[in-house]
Amino acid sequence: MKDKVDLSVNLGSLHLKNPVMPASGTFDIRDTLLNMRELNSLGAIITKSIASRRREGNPGPRVWETDGGMINAVGVPGEGVEYFKEHILPLLEEANDTIIVSMVGDSIVDFCALAKKLDNFEKISALEINLSCPNLNNGLYFGVNKDVLGDLIYQLKKSTQKIIIAKLSPNVTDITEMALTAQEAGADILTIANTFLGMAIDPEKQIPRLGNKVGGISGPAIRPIIVRMIWETSQKVKIPLIGVGGITCAQDALEMFLAGASAVQIGCANFSNPYVMLEVIQGIKEYLLRKKYSSLLDIIGLVHKNHF
Amino acid sequence: MEAYENKPLLVKGKIRKHKLISNNYGEMVIEAPQIAKRAKPGQFVMLSRWQIKNLLLKRPFSFYQINPQEGRFTILYKIVGKGTEILSNSKIGDEIELIGPCGNGFLLPKEANRIALVARGIGIATLLPLAQEASNRGIEIYSFLSAREKSLLLGRDSLESLSFHTFYTTDDGSKGRKGKVTYFLEELLKENKVNFEAVYTCGSKRLAQHIQELQQKFHFFSYVSLEERMGCGIGACKGCVIRTCHGYQRVCKEGPVFPLEEVMFYER
Repeated sequence: MKDKVDLSVNLGSLHLKNPVMPASGTFDIRDTLLNMRELNSLGAIITKSIASRRREGNPGPRVWETDGGMINAVGVPGEGVEYFKEHILPLLEEANDTIIVSMVGDSIVDFCALAKKLDNFEKISALEINLSCPNLNNGLYFGVNKDVLGDLIYQLKKSTQKIIIAKLSPNVTDITEMALTAQEAGADILTIANTFLGMAIDPEKQIPRLGNKVGGISGPAIRPIIVRMIWETSQKVKIPLIGVGGITCAQDALEMFLAGASAVQIGCANFSNPYVMLEVIQGIKEYLLRKKYSSLLDIIGLVHKNHF
Repeated sequence: MEAYENKPLLVKGKIRKHKLISNNYGEMVIEAPQIAKRAKPGQFVMLSRWQIKNLLLKRPFSFYQINPQEGRFTILYKIVGKGTEILSNSKIGDEIELIGPCGNGFLLPKEANRIALVARGIGIATLLPLAQEASNRGIEIYSFLSAREKSLLLGRDSLESLSFHTFYTTDDGSKGRKGKVTYFLEELLKENKVNFEAVYTCGSKRLAQHIQELQQKFHFFSYVSLEERMGCGIGACKGCVIRTCHGYQRVCKEGPVFPLEEVMFYER
C-alpha cells in the first residue's frame, strides 16, 4: 500500500496544499490556539469579513445554540481595512501562504473601492465576497437577487486582479440559478453556502433570543441541505466549489467532496474544538489511503458517476 | 504574535467529585492539572461532557475553587438547559473536555486593606476564589450575599469563613434582611464607617446597576464579572459582547471582569 497521498487541489488558479480552511468569521488569527506549524498546515486561512471602515456589529446576544447547530447575528464587527492592513495582514502572512480575505460592503461602489484597495496587497491570494448583507442603495440583499448579484460580481472583476470567490446565500429558491449568474458575471470560485436565515424566541421573556432578532443558522443540522446544494450546483457550473455548512469531522467533509466540492470550510465546529480542522485534514488523508486513492482529485464529484 | 504560553489550552479532564445541591444546582471537582495550575480567580473554563454532534458548543463555568497543588478545580452550576442537564448526570471518573483558563481574572489593588464582595445567587462562584486570595494576603473582606431564598445562598459557609463580616438579604426574608443587598453596603458607606479599596460584584445585572448608582455617590472603585451567551470562549467568534464606554467588548476576552463604571447596562 502506498503511504503517500496528495491532498493538494487547484481551484482554477488558486492552489491549495490541502482542501481545508476555516469559514469566515469563525477563526481569528489573533485568537487561535493553533501554533505556527499548525496554522501553516491549513489549506488556507480566511479572514473575518473586512469592510472599508470600522463596523460596530450587532447588539447582544449575538449567538444562541439551536438543535443541531447555532444561530448568530454578530453583524460583521471589525476595525476596517486600514487596521487590517496594519495589524492583521502581517500576522496572516507569517502564518500561512494562502490568505483569502472575506470582504463585505454596503453598496457596489463600496465593495469595488475596497476590492481596489485589497488588490494592492500582494500576499492576498483571493477575495471571498460576503453577500449576506443588504445593499444600502436598494435594500435588496446582494445574495438573494440575481441582478444585484450579477452586477456586483461583474463590477468587482473590473476592480481587482484577485481571484473572486462568491459566497452564495442559501436563502433562495434555486441556488443553481444564483451560481450560474455568478459564473456568468465572472466569479472564479463559489462557496456554498452562507448561513440559513432563522429565528429563535425565548418563551419565558417572550422576546427574540438574539439582539438582532433574526440571524444565520449553521452547524450539523444544515449539512444535508448544503450537500444537496453542492450536488445540484456542481452539475450546472464549470467553476470550482467550496463546501461549507456543519462539518464537524472528516466524514462530513468527504460528503461534500463526493457531491462535487473541491475544498471545504469549517465553521462553528472550530468553537467547540479549535483543532477540528487539523483532525479533518488527517481524516481525509486516512480515508484516501484506506480506499487506495493517490489524490483527493480522485473523489471530487464521484457521486455523480456512481449515482446512475 | 502574543506569548503563546498565555493562551488557553484544550485538555481532557476527569470528574473527581460531584454532588447535586438543592434546587437544581450542582458542584463538581474536576482534575485537569494544566488548567488548575494556571487558573486565576475570575477566570473561567469552557466545558463539554458531550459529543459535538449531540450538542455543538461548550459551556462556560467560573472557577469556584482552585487547587493548583492537587491539579483540581471546582465549578458551581445551575441546571438551566441541555448542557447543564447532561452535566448533572455525570458520574465520578467521567471524562470531560475543557478549554481554559479563559478570560481575565480579578485584580486586587496592590495596597488593599479592605474589599467588599457583593454576590447574587450563583454569582458567588467566581468571587469565592478571589476571597481566598484576598484572605491569603491579609485583606479584610466584607461580604454581601443575596438570593431569592435562604437555600439559594450557595457557598455561604465557605465565604463567611473567609470574611470579616457577612451580610445577608433574601427576597422572601428567610435569611437576613428582606430587600436589596446594596442596602447594607450603602449604610456602611453613608456612615463613613469603613471604606473599601474595591468592590467586586457578580450574579445580577440589576445589582451591578445599583452599585453603579452607589459609585456615583461614594466614589469607590468596582469590578463586575459578567456573563453572556458564548460561542468559543477564546475571542474568535465575537459572540459574547456587552456594551461598554469603549464600544462592544467580548466577555470572554476583554472580560469577564470589567471595571464597573465602564459597563453600560441599559442596552438589552
